[in-house]
Amino acid sequence: MEITQIAGFLGCGKTTLLLKLAAMIADGGKRKVALIVNEIGEIPVDGKIIEEGGMTVKDIGGGCICCEVAVSFGKTLVALYKQFNPDYVLVEPTGVAIPHQVKTAAKMGMRDAKLTVGAAIVLFDATRPAELLDMDLLGNLVVNQVRDADYLAISKIDAVDPSELDDIARRVQEHNQTAETVFISAFTGEGLDRLVEIILDGKE
Amino acid sequence: MAESTDIGNTDKGCYTDHGVSGYGVAVRLTCKQAMAEEQVKEMAETMMMSIAEKCMDLGARAIGHIKSHIRTECGTVKADTIGTSHGTYSSGSLAHPVKDLYFAINSIVQGIPEDAVKAATLEGIHEIADQNDIFVMKEKEHTYFDKFDFLMSKEEHQQQLEDQFKEGEEKK
Repeated sequence: MEITQIAGFLGCGKTTLLLKLAAMIADGGKRKVALIVNEIGEIPVDGKIIEEGGMTVKDIGGGCICCEVAVSFGKTLVALYKQFNPDYVLVEPTGVAIPHQVKTAAKMGMRDAKLTVGAAIVLFDATRPAELLDMDLLGNLVVNQVRDADYLAISKIDAVDPSELDDIARRVQEHNQTAETVFISAFTGEGLDRLVEIILDGKE
Repeated sequence: MAESTDIGNTDKGCYTDHGVSGYGVAVRLTCKQAMAEEQVKEMAETMMMSIAEKCMDLGARAIGHIKSHIRTECGTVKADTIGTSHGTYSSGSLAHPVKDLYFAINSIVQGIPEDAVKAATLEGIHEIADQNDIFVMKEKEHTYFDKFDFLMSKEEHQQQLEDQFKEGEEKK
């Protein structure tokens, strides 16, 4: 059971991307895919949206899986393994989660389940680089997320002038020079094949 | 307009480590006249923008997202915004006009406390509902803010998880 997280700040397009990637990985039933969505609040919105996409989803609410409800996350992974044993689990943490801590929490599930914790794909919203990086507290959070990325996905590229993309990527890469950068659009499908390769490959 | 709430001793309006506050609410909206899909989408988008604007008026520095899901007897609609300068987006479909809408809304905002997010969200809902002659009944709500220290070390985080597991085992 391979676990991949699709992380990134609020509003960067995680839920839309998760739906697309899950369908591509499942490939018409060739692979078993499970989804875990985490929302800080107890009023689920993302979980409902994903269910409408035809995917079964486990919605963990009431806190963040990288900290407050980390144990629930670990137990959910174990339950998934025992009841469903999917080939791939895609995890959407909250938009304020720190990827390395999500990994740590996932690894707690290794005690009772045969699972591999794979890559952290961190999305960065190309439509608001200054808003995300230039403010003090918010910038710190986003930079911490970017630093934890095994792969950086510059999202919503369909909504940005292509001539701006290199500058946006450069700004993000200042905080993480080792992660591969992928330019993606969940609407046009650009870049999604590469993300699927990364998830199927399963390496951090 | 929602009144700004007391934000304590901080001059930046943040009392969490990274200043993110949120509010979630589920409401039932009842319309006097049935609304078609396009009307529902327009109303929902206007509501998302109204909430975002009220949050900014109260001193928010950034909108994380204002996101909603609407369930009806004949289909669903979702609407959201990530900020007042980013516009709104909606999708989904309804098979015919409806009178009852079950709305789940999550507002996550940076720079204002949770009771301000709550005030802005509820005022935004009621303001747009009133404009559309819609009755609002609140069914469930939840306020929260992220108290998590995101700068803790890996060792400290591991220990926190170990402690939580031990607590869980002891309760069994």
